[in-house]
Amino acid sequence: MTVKRFFIFAPILLIIVLLQSYFWEPTYEEQTKGNPARLTEYITGSIGDASLLNPVIASDSASGDINGLVFEGLIDYNKDLRFRGRVAKSWEISEQAFFYVNPSARIPEWGIVDAASLATRIKHAQKSPIPSDPNLTASLKRITNISVIPPRTYTVEKSIKKSGGGQPKTIRFQVTAPARIKLVLNQVDQHLFQNLAHLLGKNYFESFRGRNYLTCDARLTAKQWAAFAKELIPATEHNPILLFHLRPGVKFQDGYPVSAEDVKFTYEAIMNPKNLSPLLSVYEPVKTIEVIDPLTVKIVYKRLYSPALSTWGIGILPKHLLDSQALKKEAAALGKDQKTFSIRQSAFNRHPVGCGPFKFQTWKSDQYIILDRFHDYWEGPPNYHQYVYRIIPDPLTQEMEFYAGTLDSYNVEPHQVMRLEKDPRFQHFSGTSFGYTYIGYNERRKPFDDPRVRRALGMAIDINKIIKYVLYGQGERITGPFVKQTDYYDHKIKPLPYDPQGALKLLAAAGWKRNKSGRLEKNGRPLEFTLITNNGNELRKAVLAIAQDAWKQIGIDIHTDILEWSVFIQERINKLDFDAVVLGWGMDIQPDLFQIWHSSQTHPYQLNFVGFKNKRADELIIKIRQEYNHARQVELCHKLHALIADLQPYTFLYVSKWTAVLDKRIVIKTVDASGAVQYKKITPTKTGNYRYYFNQWVKLPQAPQFMDKG
Amino acid sequence: MLSFIGRSVIQKTITLFFVSIVSFLIIHLAPGKPSQVNPMNPKFTPEILERFQKEFHLDKPLYVQYLYFYRGLFTGQTVSWKDNQSVFSKIWGRFLNSLPLFIVGTLITWTLSFPVGIRSAIYRGGIYDRTTTFLSYLLISIPGFFFAYVLIIFVVNHFHVPVIGMETFGIANSSIPHMIMDRIWHLLLPSVLGATGGIAILSRYVRSQMLEVEGQDYIRTAKAKGLPPDQVHYKHAFRNALLPFVTMFGLILPGLIGGSVIIETIFSWPGMGRMAYDAILARDYPVILTVNFVSAVLVLAGTFVSDLLYLVVDPRIRL
Repeated sequence: MTVKRFFIFAPILLIIVLLQSYFWEPTYEEQTKGNPARLTEYITGSIGDASLLNPVIASDSASGDINGLVFEGLIDYNKDLRFRGRVAKSWEISEQAFFYVNPSARIPEWGIVDAASLATRIKHAQKSPIPSDPNLTASLKRITNISVIPPRTYTVEKSIKKSGGGQPKTIRFQVTAPARIKLVLNQVDQHLFQNLAHLLGKNYFESFRGRNYLTCDARLTAKQWAAFAKELIPATEHNPILLFHLRPGVKFQDGYPVSAEDVKFTYEAIMNPKNLSPLLSVYEPVKTIEVIDPLTVKIVYKRLYSPALSTWGIGILPKHLLDSQALKKEAAALGKDQKTFSIRQSAFNRHPVGCGPFKFQTWKSDQYIILDRFHDYWEGPPNYHQYVYRIIPDPLTQEMEFYAGTLDSYNVEPHQVMRLEKDPRFQHFSGTSFGYTYIGYNERRKPFDDPRVRRALGMAIDINKIIKYVLYGQGERITGPFVKQTDYYDHKIKPLPYDPQGALKLLAAAGWKRNKSGRLEKNGRPLEFTLITNNGNELRKAVLAIAQDAWKQIGIDIHTDILEWSVFIQERINKLDFDAVVLGWGMDIQPDLFQIWHSSQTHPYQLNFVGFKNKRADELIIKIRQEYNHARQVELCHKLHALIADLQPYTFLYVSKWTAVLDKRIVIKTVDASGAVQYKKITPTKTGNYRYYFNQWVKLPQAPQFMDKG
Repeated sequence: MLSFIGRSVIQKTITLFFVSIVSFLIIHLAPGKPSQVNPMNPKFTPEILERFQKEFHLDKPLYVQYLYFYRGLFTGQTVSWKDNQSVFSKIWGRFLNSLPLFIVGTLITWTLSFPVGIRSAIYRGGIYDRTTTFLSYLLISIPGFFFAYVLIIFVVNHFHVPVIGMETFGIANSSIPHMIMDRIWHLLLPSVLGATGGIAILSRYVRSQMLEVEGQDYIRTAKAKGLPPDQVHYKHAFRNALLPFVTMFGLILPGLIGGSVIIETIFSWPGMGRMAYDAILARDYPVILTVNFVSAVLVLAGTFVSDLLYLVVDPRIRL
């Protein structure tokens, strides 16, 4: 019977065809050991694929990994998390400050004076120091030039949004600005006007009414008037200036030299609304950017904003490949509308060209991205010839590939750390991450408005046990909102102790006493609230259960709820509809806490959803973002850290630790001036970054033996 | 016949229209927003969110968004929000990756299920039948991902050969037969895993169909005539038992675009399922809706094809 024979032979044949392919397959041994080229490749795995290889429009971490190698910014962080020059050789920070001459203010000793004589008198005051006021003397010392801007009249157009939505309306302002004094300072001084007020009279700046110099063709509310007056004719203005000196001889991977024009173009690409850059708001404080010469670029800011320096770590885009002419050409070649064609549509995003240490070679979606070393890299080419970024979405598969040798590094899961740390085949590194997990309390609701209650709730939870059992020890306590590796974090502040009895005492002081059945109550009302978190994060769920249990033990009637992420965010967090919440923040190295902790950010859809309001904290937050001196900034941060730790708006739980294992054959290779080669063991920097010297890494055929001493 | 085709096309177009509306509504009314409009990213100011909303037409009423989307779809202009690639070229690339997996998986399922099922039907109640029944239920109840892990660990530890991905990583400069065989090797595990559930279910179907037909009077007649058992089983019984499977064949068509998220994720296979899953997580509406629409078209085409096949194989049916 043919049918029967077919049924027997067809599957056998199929299986034979499939199975025989095994004999053609190279084993891992052949791939990794027998292949000398493998030693010159660094292969790493990633859970997700990149989306856009363009630092200006990408916002996911996988794209960020690749962009960080292909592109290079003006500056980056050195091993102590301070800035160091990359494409920029050096930079200077100075300031120009302005204030309008206030015709109605009487200056002590001088009376009412005009602009010219005001300038002369300030100059005079500079020469004769006032020993009784060291702050003023210091501020005056910083001024290097004083000039007068004569009065002028001009019109500006502004658009206002209508309250009921719809098209914004354009209105015209007639500005008759009075004379203005311009001060040039050799360094940024956020207290300049405060100190000058000692000289010019306490109310000199405050009594200036910008509103009197404006007329408008539309009717405006008092609030709108105040806002426009502050914007168009502010009494005082700080304009910090960043002057970058670019390193000569830096080239893009296509051979074009990097010039100040490219820096300016990168900024313009971010600001161009057509490109929909997610970084737009970060560069909003920039007032002007000016190319002084091909290697010097001057950036003037609208106001004091010290985190601004870090934004120049952005990868520099090549202007010659992406400017409007290049885009027009590309659009024409593709037959697309030239008007709407933007950097977002450009093929550049899949074939990037930057000035970083690695040059883009190929990208196969959801498979791999390969980068070659860039021979003309200004710091000398990396030792590795190739950087390979494999997309392996499953952690177990990644682990298998790592053991087999087709991945050079593997990020270990917390429960594997104990085992893999001891494995003699690998070298391992660990550090704390830039983020923390916390329990936040909605201070708009009782009893969370009382700091004693918040502190008591934190003391009732044994956080060390959470770290030990939930995180398998892969975490550390944290006491405040700054990155633990930075100077901004104050290590002297002690974490909350685990002390349920102390917690009960604090609660009793706040009026919450245990009744006969052991429940806490105040004026007959039990202490009852709901703790929520999002679904899909096992660690947070575990924290939720532990907190629930701990609080129940001291007599709190606690409910919990786990919600799907988007419901959790949209319905509960954004609408401020929660009692307490388990959540986490990823942090920036810069100590700017405005969005999360300032009292102006407590409205729905803003990030200070716990409603933390404190005048002293507001002041410190503003001072920190206006301070350009690192030591003073650190001092202010320590004060803010202590304040937040004292008020406990969050119960700060932990920062998690990461651990990476690496092939032991990978070492640092350096060649000194005489040409002698030296191999060194990879050691992480103080901040835990083991890849800091990545460009000097090399893989040896055999694991080296390092002497401990001598 | 022609009138059947005409009616069927009209009916299916109407169904497709409703499917397009319902799927559009479900996706837009589901909680969550595209990751570009993610409000928890501190860097995203309201102005940027507004601009993205405008760019994606999310500020317009739903019916306008619907028209924009389907106009884009039919003119081939739709682009993914994630990386601005054309949705059709993305889907086509992934389709080509998933296709071999689908073909080999289907071949394994169909070539193995029939002999297994027929044999258990013929020797009903015997050791062979009971063993296959047990194995079938075992395979149905083991979760695919678990089975996949066990297989990967076994193969990697015992044979020391790579199994994940579409091809061995870094094999680019070897000879053509090597490349082909390498591709086949990498197809083996994922397609076998994809097929196990299918074999288990389909072989049960084959068995019950055969049993039903074997109990018919004309089979007894054929046996009584003294025909050789093989001829009775494979000619008289099997042909009639085959009828329902013809309809099933039409219905595997949508599987072309479905792909398997779990198998593709574990094996790092850059296929359709993974792309669709990522798109759902990122709320990349153009990609989700296009995949959805294409699969709806394939489902309808599949039922249409199986209707026609039925017509061809079963002379009793007249339309």
